[in-house]
Amino acid sequence: MDQQPQNDADFLEPSVLLDETHYQEGYKNGYDDGLSSGKEEGRQVGLKMGFQVGEELGFYQGCLYVWMSATRIDQNAFSARVRKNIEQLAALVSNYPLSDPENEQVQDVMEKIRLKFRAITASLGVRLEYEGRPASSKQDDVEDL
Amino acid sequence: MDGGAAAELREAHRLAAHTDRVWALAWNPAPGPGPVLASCSGDKTVRIWKRAPDGAWHCSVGNANLPLLPDVLEDTHNRTVRSCAWSPDGRLLATASFDATTAVWEYNSGDFECVATLEGHENEVKSVSWSPSGTLLATCSRDKMVWIWEVQPGNEYECVSVLQGHTQDVKMVQWHPSLDILVSVSYDNSIRVWADDGDDEWHCVQTLTEADNCGHSSTVWALSFNQKGDRMVTCSDDRTLKIWDTSADLSQPKTGEGHESWRHLSTLTGYHDRTIFSAHWSSDFALILVELYLNTFFGISLFLVHRSEDIIASGAGDDAICLFAEEKSSMVEGPSYKQILKKEKAHDMDINCVRWCPQLNQFL
Repeated sequence: MDQQPQNDADFLEPSVLLDETHYQEGYKNGYDDGLSSGKEEGRQVGLKMGFQVGEELGFYQGCLYVWMSATRIDQNAFSARVRKNIEQLAALVSNYPLSDPENEQVQDVMEKIRLKFRAITASLGVRLEYEGRPASSKQDDVEDL
Repeated sequence: MDGGAAAELREAHRLAAHTDRVWALAWNPAPGPGPVLASCSGDKTVRIWKRAPDGAWHCSVGNANLPLLPDVLEDTHNRTVRSCAWSPDGRLLATASFDATTAVWEYNSGDFECVATLEGHENEVKSVSWSPSGTLLATCSRDKMVWIWEVQPGNEYECVSVLQGHTQDVKMVQWHPSLDILVSVSYDNSIRVWADDGDDEWHCVQTLTEADNCGHSSTVWALSFNQKGDRMVTCSDDRTLKIWDTSADLSQPKTGEGHESWRHLSTLTGYHDRTIFSAHWSSDFALILVELYLNTFFGISLFLVHRSEDIIASGAGDDAICLFAEEKSSMVEGPSYKQILKKEKAHDMDINCVRWCPQLNQFL
């Protein structure tokens, strides 16, 4: 190791830099690829989630329309309690933050809507369910106490 | 009162007919010609037991003209029937099943008919309880919810409210004996108290936990109120029984500060060395009923107890039954409870349920 320091630095520097250059180039390529594929994937996920939420809410809204029409024809089609629940469900569905997907409450609101819907169908004695969503607790083969 | 005389627990009868473990029992509260007992089982049926004039217990109904027909409620649930409860007037029997439904049976002089099926829970229903007025029915399930139903004319049931709050399987629900207050206990180790604001809006008005209230440190399996409703006992997988002061009327809206709440009074430790599955607070009783689970004998034992004060009975996975009475003499920091009896090996297996029979006279 008795070369002169300047020659040393001049000689080795491009090699070191090459490593760094390639690293940067690779990084940039990866970043750009990731950005565009991530955006595309995000768009697909967004479309899928949006569709699911929209479909589920639409289902409940459809049921609400039928129930409200029934009430218009016959005021006493449902009991006072069921009518109140229907009104509450209608309010929940219309207040769902559709345009604000990053709202942290969306999961809670959807749970409330599902519960309210189940309370109404249970009271009416009808077996009506939104088929699209997976049931929350289907791990049923466990023997329970 | 108690003096030095120990209580005695003597097995009087064994009732065997179920073909799978017996989970729960309920005595019909209505005064009638004789005591009537309902038992529900993993064999998907509910059996009704009555005492014949000769003193023997039968799961059958009959009279001079008809042959004996087994009094079995079947072909309705398609999984284990986990719990059953008679309405306060004794006319209806509600049965809660792992098939996620609750059936209501009407009892008319010995004949049973399923008059309603309540659906709504997502999975196994664990417990069912009638309110003191008989107008509300509460059910709870592994889906972590508690549902409250109202009885309408014509055997129609309407869902009043679905109560969310527990974070795990809810094991049992029980109404206060005189107020419209509902208590639920859960695998999440907590006890929740629910009341409504007068407008069908039910809320959790108190949660009793290990951290804040000296609550249980493991699954709470059962609860039982005394007759007055100012005391409650809970039992748990943590092998303790806890007594609570429940004199505060939580169904009233809180006005101002200093609102009353339910508080821990006493913990009974060291009496059972396994999970305590059931506890029941007697009022005026003579007989204690216990179910058991055994490989070859799925049955029910009826015991006679010779005491006549308020006693708490507990049954546990250590196959023993314990009886506790309040120690009136020592009021140092509040009432305490002492064990007056432990019957080891009361059964050969886990004791799933203990229940006092309300009709004292029938057995003396």
